[in-house]
Amino acid sequence: MILSAESQKAIDTYLTDLRGQLRPLRPEDANDIVEEIHAHILDKSAGVTAEGVVSATLAALGTPDELAARYRIDELLKRAQSTRSPVVSLFSLARWATLSLIGLVTFIISSVGYALGAVLVVIGLFKLIYPRNGGVWFDPKPGGHGIDGTAGFSFVGGGTWTHPGHEVFGLWLAPSCLALGALLVFLTFSLGTWCIRRFWRPSALREV
Amino acid sequence: MKGASIPTVESSEKWEVQLRKGSLELAILAALWDGRLYGLEILRELENKSDLIVVEGTVYPLLNRLRALTLVESEWVESDSGHPRKYYRLTPAGRKRALEMTRIWVRFSARMNNLLAHLNKEARPVPKGRKDTA
Repeated sequence: MILSAESQKAIDTYLTDLRGQLRPLRPEDANDIVEEIHAHILDKSAGVTAEGVVSATLAALGTPDELAARYRIDELLKRAQSTRSPVVSLFSLARWATLSLIGLVTFIISSVGYALGAVLVVIGLFKLIYPRNGGVWFDPKPGGHGIDGTAGFSFVGGGTWTHPGHEVFGLWLAPSCLALGALLVFLTFSLGTWCIRRFWRPSALREV
Repeated sequence: MKGASIPTVESSEKWEVQLRKGSLELAILAALWDGRLYGLEILRELENKSDLIVVEGTVYPLLNRLRALTLVESEWVESDSGHPRKYYRLTPAGRKRALEMTRIWVRFSARMNNLLAHLNKEARPVPKGRKDTA
């Protein structure tokens, strides 16, 4: 098969652009995709001498950006299903959130879950490092029975400061917060992965 | 009637698109049932044996996805055309999935055909020269 210089240039430009758009993927995966698309273009053009065939084939594939986007999001969510990293999972969910309502809801719930988990872990670490300065305090109203009092976490610098209220959990706050925070991060991660498995439809199926 | 929406040709087309979307995965698995095919052969199989007209830029990412789900496997094979081709074949999981989907499809379509039998007579196009009395 002999392609005109113009057709060959159009193919080369298309494949170069496609390779560039597939950069977020692993190089071997991107290379595999580009080679397959190249083979498809050559097969479609085989035995046909008309100049328009190559440009029609490229048009049927969509722009390199459109074609790469279908692979990218699928690859991203595929990676999210097998990853152990909450960061990768959350990054993938953020991409999914731009594509569907269920993705958006999952992303919001996951963000809240991760944020709460992180806050609990930070509190636990604070308590470990500054056992006398950080804690959950319960401060009953003067003259009351403590039911209407205020409670909350506070942290104050300085070595000799003492909170006027009653510290609720004491040193147990550190392991409790660390365990709860880790559990929350794990549950949020599991929920995100489950939602992707349950609700994600490949982009190719959405755009038929 | 205020506020009522009138069904249009456009909404029927949207429904048809949804129907095609839902059947594409099964169609690809069915196309691969008899043996390995490469991308363009799959596209031609779908065009020739079904009413599915699949956009070329759609089928390759979908094949990639099916491979990730281990429903198909692929291998590069040298060809007489001067360039290698990537062939796809069903895995045991893919064959199982194709059979499951076929069972569901056959049962569903039989029941729908039963339900639509009397509508089908009404929906047939009126032959030329005959007045529609409806």
